[in-house]
Amino acid sequence: MALSTIFLTVFLLALLSLRTYQSEVLSETLPLTPESLNVSINSAHQRLHLQWTIHNLAYHQELKMVFQIQISRFKTSNVIWKESYSTTVKQNQGLHWSWESKLPLECATHFVRVRGKVDDARIPEPKFWSNWSRWEEADAQNSLGPDLLFLFPEDKLVEEGSDVTFCYVSRNHQHNISCYLEAAQIHIDQLDPRVSTFKLKNVSFIRRTGTNIFCEDPGVAMKGTVLFVSKILEEPKDFFCETQDFKNLNCAWDPGSDTTLPKQPSQSYTLFESFSGKKMLCEHRNFCNWQVAQDSQEMYNFTLVAENYLRKRRVSILFNVTHRVHPMSPYNLFFENISATNATVTWKVHAIGNYSTFLCQLELLGEGKVIQQQNVSVKVSGEYLLDDLEPDTRYTARVRCAYANHFWKWSEPISQKFSTSEAAPSEAPDVWRNVRLVSGRPTVTLFWKPLSKSQANGKILFYKVIVENPDKPSKFEGLSIPAPANSTELPLNGSSYQIHVTAHNSVGPSPASVITVSGDPGNREVEEERVNITEDGFSVSWKPQAGAPAGYVVEWCDRPQDLPCDPQWKNLGPNATSTVIDSGAFRPGVRYNFRIYGISTERMAHLLERKTGYIEELAPSDNPRVVTSHLTSHSFTLTWKDYSTESQPGFIQGYYLYLKSKVGEQCLPGFEKTGLTDDSVYCKHRIDNPEQKTFVMENLQPESVYEFLITPYTSAGEGPLGAFTKVTTSSEYSHALVLILLPMIFFILLFTIVCYLKSQWLKEKCYPDIPDPCKSSVLSLIKSKENPHLTIMNVNDCVPDAIEVINKPEGSKIQFVGASKSLTEAEFTKPTYLYLLPTVKNSPGPGPCICFENFTYNQAASGSGSCDPFPITPQVPPGQRGPLTSRGNLLKALEKNYMNSLGEIPSGEASLNYVSQLVSPMSGDKDNLPTNPPEPILCSEYKMQMALPLGLASPPPSENSRLSSTALLDQGEHYR
Amino acid sequence: MDLRAGDSWGLLACLCTVLWHLPAVPALNRTGDPGPGPSIQKTYDLTRYLEHQLRSLAGTYLNYLGPPFNEPDFNPPRLGAETLPRATVNLDVWRSLNDKLRLTQNYEAYSHLLCYLRGLNRQAATAELRRSLAHFCTSLQGLLGSIAGVMAALGYPLPHPLPGTEPTWAPGPAHSDFLQKMDDFWLLKELQTWLWRSAKDFNRLKKKIQPPAAAVTLHLEARGF
Repeated sequence: MALSTIFLTVFLLALLSLRTYQSEVLSETLPLTPESLNVSINSAHQRLHLQWTIHNLAYHQELKMVFQIQISRFKTSNVIWKESYSTTVKQNQGLHWSWESKLPLECATHFVRVRGKVDDARIPEPKFWSNWSRWEEADAQNSLGPDLLFLFPEDKLVEEGSDVTFCYVSRNHQHNISCYLEAAQIHIDQLDPRVSTFKLKNVSFIRRTGTNIFCEDPGVAMKGTVLFVSKILEEPKDFFCETQDFKNLNCAWDPGSDTTLPKQPSQSYTLFESFSGKKMLCEHRNFCNWQVAQDSQEMYNFTLVAENYLRKRRVSILFNVTHRVHPMSPYNLFFENISATNATVTWKVHAIGNYSTFLCQLELLGEGKVIQQQNVSVKVSGEYLLDDLEPDTRYTARVRCAYANHFWKWSEPISQKFSTSEAAPSEAPDVWRNVRLVSGRPTVTLFWKPLSKSQANGKILFYKVIVENPDKPSKFEGLSIPAPANSTELPLNGSSYQIHVTAHNSVGPSPASVITVSGDPGNREVEEERVNITEDGFSVSWKPQAGAPAGYVVEWCDRPQDLPCDPQWKNLGPNATSTVIDSGAFRPGVRYNFRIYGISTERMAHLLERKTGYIEELAPSDNPRVVTSHLTSHSFTLTWKDYSTESQPGFIQGYYLYLKSKVGEQCLPGFEKTGLTDDSVYCKHRIDNPEQKTFVMENLQPESVYEFLITPYTSAGEGPLGAFTKVTTSSEYSHALVLILLPMIFFILLFTIVCYLKSQWLKEKCYPDIPDPCKSSVLSLIKSKENPHLTIMNVNDCVPDAIEVINKPEGSKIQFVGASKSLTEAEFTKPTYLYLLPTVKNSPGPGPCICFENFTYNQAASGSGSCDPFPITPQVPPGQRGPLTSRGNLLKALEKNYMNSLGEIPSGEASLNYVSQLVSPMSGDKDNLPTNPPEPILCSEYKMQMALPLGLASPPPSENSRLSSTALLDQGEHYR
Repeated sequence: MDLRAGDSWGLLACLCTVLWHLPAVPALNRTGDPGPGPSIQKTYDLTRYLEHQLRSLAGTYLNYLGPPFNEPDFNPPRLGAETLPRATVNLDVWRSLNDKLRLTQNYEAYSHLLCYLRGLNRQAATAELRRSLAHFCTSLQGLLGSIAGVMAALGYPLPHPLPGTEPTWAPGPAHSDFLQKMDDFWLLKELQTWLWRSAKDFNRLKKKIQPPAAAVTLHLEARGF
């Protein structure tokens, strides 16, 4: 019994414990329904937050459960989201879960319900879902306010590339709402009679003030929102940390783009060191200073975290601080003992600790290029001797250092400039000469090239030229020519001179350049050859000179058209036989002449060869001026002698003669037909000899027009086809006509000349004015028939009784300026008769007939009797009024008065007329009207006629004289 | 009035007397107080200058806000900008304003607008825009001082708060960003209208205070002659 009681007790206890366990297990296996489900809305993040509890759990009991959550929109049946959520559940512990809605929560009512299931391995199968919780409603529309239109989300912040859904809620049933992105209308999808939505996909950053979106119900409401689009936060790049002094670690990185917006501050950067566990917020976007710990921490593991509202980025580095030493820049960089070729440079470094060593790099730069580079190990101070420097040169020394124990980075460099001092020029100037005769005296022009910078070793101040006459060893001081002159002119006499040229800077002279010059210009005739052209320039070659010259010089002019040209020259060694001359100054179409000189050991230049050529030949630019000659009916000659073949843009190889051809006409022999660009056909003849500057066109047709053109040609082409010259061949008979006509014209001309020259003789022979009574045939007749004693009276037998002086101003057309009366009126004045004998003067009747020899007839005065008008002066000197009774007196008086009159009367104004008394006055001056003709003298004898100055005549007291006086007075008035 | 022969001497004496005393006539005395005329003219000139300055500033700022605010025909409802002083007023009401009221309204409006404008400056994101806004604020402060000067010259008291004291209110941050942009838009628009209205106000005031010189009349007592 007791045993059974014990057994029963044990059984009951076991049953009880089993019961307890079972009750616990059963409580798990029973469906655990979520209770106290609470749904809240986070509008800013568009999230629904769910919270619920499980009440049926035992105290301290923990179970793994899985929950199924359903979300519906607008109505419970419209489930839009299902999700399972596993978690460990405690009794009465609130469970949380959230969900982000794509659609702004303000635009739709959402419903949420949850159910759960035990998902714990301790609980045997089967496991059942609990009942769903009640639908919980999440409605944000209740808190919208009284407006008629709402647009959501408000001022949302998203990253670039996101999709954003907008919606609006209208409380106006008759709405006509349009929505705009910036100013562009966008498509809207209606979700509900009051709710519509639109989606922006892959949005991009437009501006910091955001993208404007607004919806408008015209006249009713308008709502807008701003979408802030942030650039995506980038991971920091090139993150590193280093130290200059083991006290601070400078960490830096490339932050990438800035994501700052009005809705979002700039991204923050936080530095976290894992070994020390320290953390610091960096003040700057791209660097941070970290204090090195005093406990000699060498290893560091940094994590840099970049963060903004939307994203977090991180990057880590692990390093030993002794491997990250970036020394400070060296300082106190100085130069000592600067000479022309050496300089000592010194500098200091910032020491790190007591045992640090630095590796310093010294660079020497000249004209921006590194010339020398040296590495120097430095504890505190560095020093280095720079040698092989160029005198008078500006250099830059640059020093940078690195931590020698573990190279990490060079420090920032320090640099300093210095200049070496000057030295005497190292090279003699390159001198050349040009000897020419100036006013018959030999004159040498010396040229020299400026020394290069490396040769000058400083600023060249002047050049010294010393002329030495070998015949007179005593030197005389030459010229000092200030730089930068590169030539000078020296007059010479006939002998040779040795000229020394040195360049001087502030330190001293250069080695002398010696050249020997003789007074002979040395223009000996050397045949000119053509020079070869290569791609590199003129290839000038010459025959080696016998007798081992010291060298050669090739001379040319860069601009041969300039006179005098600036000579260029090139020195060549004694073994050289060719060289290539190239110059940027060479131009196509310009003829360049090269002279090759051999330089003797006495530095005397001798012309060896002459070369000429073009860097590029061009076609002639103009045609020769052609002269046509020897024109016949069948030929003519063309000549262009003055055409210079030397001054052309290429070597003239010959000429083309173009002859215009008529259609269907055959070309002349030696010509060939050719067509030109203008489709015209020409006959062409080629003259191959450039020196042939004449051509005879033969086999031509008489009286035909030929048009020709002569154009030269070079290897580059022929000259321009300009204007043709026309030539017409003469007639076939024209030659014969010329042969007849020319002699005829010649003889006619000869006859005319003879007639002119012998006119006097002819006149006397053919139509004498005054017949010579001695030669008259009548005389012989009378003599023979009537009076055999009749003879010609001798003048010695004659006593002149009167001289007739005729004042006969010819009808000159001369008008005196200011005259009130024309002198032509004097033509009508009466001839004035001067009665030399008073007896005759007063005799009323005719006097005895006197004949005299007309010995004055042939006087020169008679021949030169001009008809210039001359007024007769009425006042006659008293001395001249005396009776001229004898012939001698008369002649004397005449001569005297004549001489006086020559002195008194301007030549050309006297008028001497000889009137034969046998001739009627009317016949002597037919034009004159005889207002009071003189008494006719009835005498058949010839009267002496004499020349008498008119001024001597005293007016006779007759009516005639009065008339004459009156006329003369009038004439005299003309001279007032 | 018939003048006897002896009166001509009297008339001459009168004219001489008038000419003698002419420098003493206040209206013609150049050395005296010029009155409010020049300061009104200066205020008028300043409003025209600010109009010009604002045209450039508003263009820049509205571009900064982005479309549709820089669209020429954009005309949003005032909404949050209701607190801004309105420049638009009925024409008859405007005509009936007396000088004191006219000046007081100007002064108060610019006091408030300046306060808003300073808030705008604080929000501006770009340094160049902040510089432009600060320059305009300084100019607007000058206009406010100029109006105060005119009011003082005319003997009108300044409305409260006294000039020089910092406005105690500014647009609140409770708005959404879009509403804030609309407020900025309206602030600039209202400022533009106010400057236009002020130009009219001061032109009217100028004409009223400064009668043309030809209209100066001297009332002479001819009774004594």
